[in-house]
Amino acid sequence: MRILRAIFGHGSGRIGGVIVGVYLLIAILGLVGLTPHNPITQFRVDRLHAPNGAYWMGTDLFGRDVASRLMAGIGQSFTVAFFSVAFATLAGTVLGLAAAWLGRRWDGVVMRIMDVLLAFPAILLALLIVTVAGPGTWTSVVAIGIVYTPIFTRVVRGPALSLKAREFVDAARTFGSSSSYIVTRHLLLNLVAPLTVQVTLALAWALLTEAGLSFLGLGTQPPAASLGLMLSDSRNLMETAPWLMIFPGLTIMISILGFNLLGDALRDILDPRMRRVPA
Amino acid sequence: MVHLTRKLLSGITLAAMLGVAVVSTQANAATLHMAWSQDATGLDPHKQTAFSSLRLLELIYEPLVRVDASLQIIPAIATSWEFSKDGKMLTFKLDPKAKFQDGTAVTSADVKASFERILDEKTGAAARANFLSIAGIDTPDAATVVFHLSQPDVPILTAMSDVNAAIVPASEIKAGSIGTKALGSGPFKLDKWDPNAKEVLSANKDWAGGATGVDGIEISVLPDEAAILAAMRTKQIDFALLNDPLVATLVPKEASLQLNRVPVLAYHVLQLNPSRKPMTELKVRQAISCAIDRQEVLDTASLGEGKVTGPLTIPALATDPSQLFCYKRDVEKAKKLMAEAGFADGFSATVIGATGEPPTAAAEAQVIQSQLAEIGVKLDIKMMELNVYVDAWLKGDFDMAIALNGGRADPYTMYNRYWTKAGNLQKVANYIDDTLDSQMQQGRAETDPAKRKAIFGKFEKHLAEMSPWIWLYTSYSYTAQQKNIAGFVPTPTGTLFSLSKVTIQQ
Amino acid sequence: MNYLMRRLATFPLVLLGVSILVFVAIRMVPGDSITAMLGTEAGLLTPAQRDSLAAYFGIDQPWFIQYWRWIGGILHGNFGISVTYGRPVLDVILERFPLTLELALLSMIIALAVGMPAGIYAATHNEKPSDLGVRIVAMIGQSTPSFVLGLLIIYALSAGFGVLPAMGEFAPLWQDPLRNLSQLILPAITLGFAFAASVTRISRSAMLDVLSDDYVRTARSKGASARSVIWRHALPNALIPVVTLSGIEFGYLLGGAVIVEQIYALPGLGRMVLDAILQRDYALVQGAVLFIAFNFMIVNLLVDLAYVALDPRIRLGEQ
Repeated sequence: MRILRAIFGHGSGRIGGVIVGVYLLIAILGLVGLTPHNPITQFRVDRLHAPNGAYWMGTDLFGRDVASRLMAGIGQSFTVAFFSVAFATLAGTVLGLAAAWLGRRWDGVVMRIMDVLLAFPAILLALLIVTVAGPGTWTSVVAIGIVYTPIFTRVVRGPALSLKAREFVDAARTFGSSSSYIVTRHLLLNLVAPLTVQVTLALAWALLTEAGLSFLGLGTQPPAASLGLMLSDSRNLMETAPWLMIFPGLTIMISILGFNLLGDALRDILDPRMRRVPA
Repeated sequence: MVHLTRKLLSGITLAAMLGVAVVSTQANAATLHMAWSQDATGLDPHKQTAFSSLRLLELIYEPLVRVDASLQIIPAIATSWEFSKDGKMLTFKLDPKAKFQDGTAVTSADVKASFERILDEKTGAAARANFLSIAGIDTPDAATVVFHLSQPDVPILTAMSDVNAAIVPASEIKAGSIGTKALGSGPFKLDKWDPNAKEVLSANKDWAGGATGVDGIEISVLPDEAAILAAMRTKQIDFALLNDPLVATLVPKEASLQLNRVPVLAYHVLQLNPSRKPMTELKVRQAISCAIDRQEVLDTASLGEGKVTGPLTIPALATDPSQLFCYKRDVEKAKKLMAEAGFADGFSATVIGATGEPPTAAAEAQVIQSQLAEIGVKLDIKMMELNVYVDAWLKGDFDMAIALNGGRADPYTMYNRYWTKAGNLQKVANYIDDTLDSQMQQGRAETDPAKRKAIFGKFEKHLAEMSPWIWLYTSYSYTAQQKNIAGFVPTPTGTLFSLSKVTIQQ
Repeated sequence: MNYLMRRLATFPLVLLGVSILVFVAIRMVPGDSITAMLGTEAGLLTPAQRDSLAAYFGIDQPWFIQYWRWIGGILHGNFGISVTYGRPVLDVILERFPLTLELALLSMIIALAVGMPAGIYAATHNEKPSDLGVRIVAMIGQSTPSFVLGLLIIYALSAGFGVLPAMGEFAPLWQDPLRNLSQLILPAITLGFAFAASVTRISRSAMLDVLSDDYVRTARSKGASARSVIWRHALPNALIPVVTLSGIEFGYLLGGAVIVEQIYALPGLGRMVLDAILQRDYALVQGAVLFIAFNFMIVNLLVDLAYVALDPRIRLGEQ
């Protein structure tokens, strides 16, 4: 609760918080099905209509209501984004801390495995996972999660290595704190800032990657709606039905803006050493 | 530091644009700049079957005969041909002017060697399946070839018009260089091939068909068709092959561009798998046929670009769809059929499709899903990468599949693989009955065109009634060109062969 | 030096892991070279024809033997022949790589040149409106999928201005620098703009972090000017996360930016790998992945070495 108040006290945090909050609400509505029309129902007589009274954001190639699909799509894309980033954050943090803290040999092993994953073309990885598990929401989550884990590992490891070498860790050691206590308390607290930024970055990337996977036909399956699939389908109709690209495109842009602003605000709030910077 | 970088960047961009303007006007006036989104996958005319490969190879290699815009067989390397009275001998007379691109004449020995290569299983030529009736080949002189057939086989002539039956030099076969070196007798020579990037063709001065209209063709592979359209707008590209109706329909809106469309023989179809329950029941399959509104699928997925079709897509032989079983949507009849079959509550099934092949596949599947939902059939759509789809398709491992299958100028060549007892793809079609088989065999042997039309008419009606597949529509082959390109004649086989006579007006 | 040697010694092991992973992965995906070439016509093949084609494509042997042959070839410098190109795999890769390298460098330059100053500016003007303004502008580039951005740029240029960089024939840098840059500038902007936003945020965050650090405040209290504090103390440390991010992004770009290459029709590494996967050109996929992996590991090594240079207190794994 204190955090919420802090967010709303923070300048850009307020904007970010509102955006993300509104989107979360829409996402839930979309997932539960409380949309103006059924996102899948085709009103084929009303195909490719520009925004009007009956269809606030127009209709698509099949006469489906864009507004309803957008809501369902937000639900779908956010689900993929949140779960895949959660996967990557958890796995990456554990691996990154292990690499940094457990010494040279484990560092080598973990980072080399991460190298193998990073070096592997994401498309091939996605194709493989999708083929083995069948296309769909959870496959996208796993595919994106695996692809992003090495980044989180690296992002956590870098500052962790640096922090490990800082004086206050040595000082704490001198005073007899046990190894694991140092890790949990100091390292985690000091990782909050870069992690928060990275998580919000990753959420944005996940949304875009989901779009990219849909562009290549590997993401969400039709007729389900996702922001990525809507954008991908709108490509060749861009000139005749621009609303099909504008609404999902704007949605992604604003949601990413929201994530980033919120992430920056959280970072500022949660960083224990944050003070006003002298100009 | 930032200011400097920005200035530098905009300076470079400006210079680049100017550089572009200069470069564009330097191009050779008699070179046709062409673009397509999918490139050929190989150079061996006997082995390659992909549409994109055929489009390239048709410019370099020639078969004995070809088909014209009205699907009549016309001379290519052969100037005349004749079936014997019993239909078991086919004699060709070759054009004495026909030469390969290295100057050597095309002789009957080359024809014999080419067909032997196709028939040799070691070659792995898929087209071999069309030539199984060839029992022997004689070459009485350099300009005459006689094919001895084990049974009358009228469609073999149509099969020979395919570039998969191209005549290649016997010397190259011996040298084993077919596929690495492209040496044909066609209007253009392949100077350079950068796979998935570019082809450079130059005119074959020795071509028996006369002089070509342009000195050369440069083909760029631009994977995104919207980019092709943009390049045509800016006059970088003179001529393009387009696959996606959504992009093709934008071309007529440009004042300087022209769209050529011609109905093709390939057909969009929803393949059912009659070996899987409940599609084992005739009434269920018929119900599906009655519940689908083909015109609506065409209008929605392809923006109406095409024509509803029955199983036969050859204009001269096709039956009017209104005379085929349930080609007008009848949901009541469909529900009745479902109830009679014991499936009043419907059932669930999966429909597979290949992403992007054709570009309209996902859209067709979604419309069909929505239409079939009205009779209780719940479809789950699984779009997959093309090769994964092909693998499942070949194994017959699907409930339903949305497909664009190639057509041929002869019904037997087109369908014997599916609808005969010995058909190679019976495990994909999973349906056969005596009527279909006998109709196919009759059509194969019958030489009288009127009788053939009657036989295949009955074949088509029977096929539509048994509904192993739901035939949807035929679409167009699209080519876009600048208005100053003259002489291109599109044909229903999709061939770009008439590029040999195309000229660039100044 | 010791560290460098030890890191390089891990390369063969990692590459071995990658080689097994890619070898197995590409074969587990349904469809093979035969279906890739023939599509549905593959159903017309007789068993003898199928065997012949399998031998031609080198896929007739059990996996173990295929792998053995391939690895054996690599140890002699032979990466195999690409069935699509009909030429040695390494030749094809090295032909496509310069474009990808150049595009990656250009994108990075744009991203860093625009992103870092923006991020530092935002950090030093924290909480002022200009901070917010900079961040919002940066985000616009980051929040559009590359295929949308690329398509919009192409459409705007061609329909609006009637110009477009020459597509199709790619001019290498040493042959025709002007044309080369004209073809790469738009893709580089498409990629770089998106990346610039990330750089902005990371730089901003890291600068804020460091500027509030104790030793920085100590330096200021000792009378050091704001500027010298920023340049000499804050910046090097703020660079660490930026280097991390840039390293990873550069590594990705070295593997080829597939979507941008598709849209702008650039014959780069990314498109080559995608096409090779779709056409089941096993030798090319395997060779290309090994090549990309190798580059990644070099880049990561350089990033780790950069850590030491930036923060001498880091002793890499020698604790």
